[in-house]
Amino acid sequence: MKPNPIMQRFLEPVLWFAGLLLIWEVLVRALDVPIYVLPAPSQFLSRIVEDYQRLGYHAFVTTRLIVYGFVAGAIPGVVLGYLIAKFRLAEQVLYPLVVFIQGLPKITLAPLMLVWFGFADFPKILLTALITFFPILVDSVTGFKSIDPRQYYLSRSVGASWWQTFRFFELPSAAPSIFSGFKITVVIAVTVVIVVEWMNSQNGLGYLVLRGMDDSDTSLIFAVLVVGSMIGVVLSWGMEVAERTLLPWRRR
Amino acid sequence: MADMKTRTPSGLVHPVGGAIAAGASINARGLTKVFGSGENAFHALGPIDLDIKPGEFVSIIGPSGCGKSTTMLLVTGLEPSSAGTVEIDGKLLTAPISEIGIVFQDHLLLDFRTAIKNVMLQQEMRGLDKAALRERADALFERLGLAGAENRYPWQLSGGMRQRVSIARALVHDPSMLLMDEPFGALDAITRTQIRHDLEMLWLETRKTVLFITHSIEEAVGLSDRVLVMSKSPGTIVEEIVIDLPRPRPAHLGEYPEFSKYAERIYRIFEKLGVYKF
Repeated sequence: MKPNPIMQRFLEPVLWFAGLLLIWEVLVRALDVPIYVLPAPSQFLSRIVEDYQRLGYHAFVTTRLIVYGFVAGAIPGVVLGYLIAKFRLAEQVLYPLVVFIQGLPKITLAPLMLVWFGFADFPKILLTALITFFPILVDSVTGFKSIDPRQYYLSRSVGASWWQTFRFFELPSAAPSIFSGFKITVVIAVTVVIVVEWMNSQNGLGYLVLRGMDDSDTSLIFAVLVVGSMIGVVLSWGMEVAERTLLPWRRR
Repeated sequence: MADMKTRTPSGLVHPVGGAIAAGASINARGLTKVFGSGENAFHALGPIDLDIKPGEFVSIIGPSGCGKSTTMLLVTGLEPSSAGTVEIDGKLLTAPISEIGIVFQDHLLLDFRTAIKNVMLQQEMRGLDKAALRERADALFERLGLAGAENRYPWQLSGGMRQRVSIARALVHDPSMLLMDEPFGALDAITRTQIRHDLEMLWLETRKTVLFITHSIEEAVGLSDRVLVMSKSPGTIVEEIVIDLPRPRPAHLGEYPEFSKYAERIYRIFEKLGVYKF
């Protein structure tokens, strides 16, 4: 039987991972590690099943913030990336500023955001947007700058308008680079939202982590870790699907 | 010429509007291109003069980087010139003209559009009559051996097919001028010979003015009425060779003893210019 490529791609890593969890399980039981120090996989996995309603609710709250924050960062990131790649003036004025702000540890702005904008969703979305914005901007600039100059000659020769040039020539050329930015950034956004939720939240996965810490409930923290990484996996897989659908020629 | 007519598909004899579009004339004087300014200025081209008659097939041949492609871009205004003037059909060129068809070495087709939709891009962007253009596109597909490939995407086509689609895209709106920048440069020798012939036949029917940029002596002599030989950078036109061979020309150009003479003349010029060092 020929090895199935799908089996190879998915089954192998899953088996490795399952093996690792098994070793973990055996070690924790054999060494009799207390649950508040390190729970066995069976303990936090069964926690997910038992507590699925609570976890599901908080996961939903967090996912919503991730999506809002990501979209709020991605749209200006792509637009500004286009302007910087396209116009020298924009590049000269904005790019040094961008490089400077990119170097800042922006997560430290979180308390400031809360002071300025209160404890509702807005400051959390704003901070997530701010952090996702920069990598997407940088990848968009790269994408829009990678356009073959002959594409412009061609678009001019067919009498394309500004919008047509953007829609048919510039955006498709930049899209692969933009998507690679999206895929990386959407995973970062998961972390950002959870961290921001540590600061005075009534809900969300970050809030749940704090509750777990307060109660020395490590199996809850691990359960959140699993749920959080699942959100990341699903979102980046969604990006992958979007890319394949929108850019089918990249499948080769 | 009698059998030419029978081979002509109706879609191409009477293009959009009913009138047969004659090729445009191109007259350039002192055309020069300098990239950058000050100490970093790079004198890429010229000054050159060009006089191309309506419906003429003219090749520019020269070594890499001599400015042949730039010449093509300046003549259409797609790239602004640093000095000199261009007249198209006697009218001074002041802005990029779009009444042209252009084919580059790389097909530059839109990956997300099928072959036919790539060709119909011209109709969409120019807002031309859809049914009439579709009819022309179909005729061109038939003529270029692309029938059946309409709904395939560029990545599903061979290199030769992609260039054929590019040629269809360059001609579907019936421009008066066809500009080709090493269009067959990336193709294998067998494909190149066939597509050269197909282009010649198409040109015989439509008589567009063609400016053909190439570094292949065989292509230049095999296709052109006139070959302009360009020097190394900054490119200037050093010689004009009128190719007086009957058309359509054969696959094996060696059939004509004159072919070797023309080819030899070009080699000689290249040797004299120091393009070749043997």
